[in-house]
Amino acid sequence: MLTACPDCDLLQELPPLEIGQAAYCTRCGCLLRQVRPDSLNRSLAFAVTGIFLFILANLFPFISLSALGIHQDSSLFSASWAFYTMGHPLLALIVFLTTIIFPLLSLTGIIVVLLAVKMQRANQYFIAPLFRFLMSTEAWGMLEIFLLAVLVAVVKLGDLAEIIIGTSLYAFVALIAVLTLLSLSLDPEDVWNNIREHQA
Amino acid sequence: MTTAREAGLVSCHFCHSLAKIPDTYNDNNTTLHCPCCRSVLHSRIPHSMTRTTALLLAALFLYIPANLLPIMTIVFQGAGEPDTIMQGVLHLLEGGMWPLALIVFVASIVVPVLKLLVLFGLLLSIHFHSNWNPVERTRLYRIMEFIGRWSMVDIFVIAILVALVQFGNTASIYPGLGALSFAAVVVLTMFAAHTFDPRLIWDNLE
Repeated sequence: MLTACPDCDLLQELPPLEIGQAAYCTRCGCLLRQVRPDSLNRSLAFAVTGIFLFILANLFPFISLSALGIHQDSSLFSASWAFYTMGHPLLALIVFLTTIIFPLLSLTGIIVVLLAVKMQRANQYFIAPLFRFLMSTEAWGMLEIFLLAVLVAVVKLGDLAEIIIGTSLYAFVALIAVLTLLSLSLDPEDVWNNIREHQA
Repeated sequence: MTTAREAGLVSCHFCHSLAKIPDTYNDNNTTLHCPCCRSVLHSRIPHSMTRTTALLLAALFLYIPANLLPIMTIVFQGAGEPDTIMQGVLHLLEGGMWPLALIVFVASIVVPVLKLLVLFGLLLSIHFHSNWNPVERTRLYRIMEFIGRWSMVDIFVIAILVALVQFGNTASIYPGLGALSFAAVVVLTMFAAHTFDPRLIWDNLE
């Protein structure tokens, strides 16, 4: 298949790849494609698991602080809410979008796209623009960065007060693992090939 | 070595389908749609250099208040103590938590500075038709695009601390304007990396 490198525009013939093999641009070394085993099914399974874990991670506080007999807890949502109540609506919006809206959109969107592909309904009017949107906004879902922030916050507060780890933190850690597996199992070219075939 | 553009083809930015550029095509007043995903096709990102420069300059200016203004104020037993990004790192060091100090230092100071420098450097190298190692320059761009978002970690730390530490006058944490400026720097440099077109590095060789 003739293809152009997205990073340097070099035209080159993409050889047929076996499962697990990857092709890199001969000029600039950009990853052109990596074929994942059973990409559609595995990604769908991880995305569905991800939705459940996401709900669980949002239902309960992930961390509680207990000092002077007062109890404070924080959930994913209260992190952005705190900025809003303190008079920083823009910061609240950024945190809300990157930790709740984009991860949720990406999980539900991928389920919709993969189901459509599996049911041979991957049309170019809804599914293709949706998948395009999901692929181009991938960088804005920042849950793994939020997890690192939780770690930093816990250590910072560790010697000042008693910290109680909530149920949601376990769900949250599992969610990050599932999201990583999802990105490792999804082969976007597989989805695009299906959309292309559907049109032909 | 032929590029898609030289062959009269355009590669879709999203689905990587190749489409033929019609003879009547004129970059300014006709739009070309991808036959596969219906996105608007461009051989190169339109006005990539101008847009990236504008976003980087905005980020550069905001980087000053981001470092000078407090990112948060810690009120402890009635007395408030404003904290800038660098002071936050130093406090972690004083507390003996150097691995964390290192993480925050790299994410909040090294990465944004490096990202600004590298992207400005790449823009200059394209402007002056530099022939210097295009493979390495493309790789630098890919690395910058990948690590830029990790700078948000400090913003999330503040969000969590502000949500948790609300014990009135005994101990409370309030966000500062520095945090807003810093978040804007991160978002602007992410947009800048997004509008930068690495193919320009290769177009301007020779």
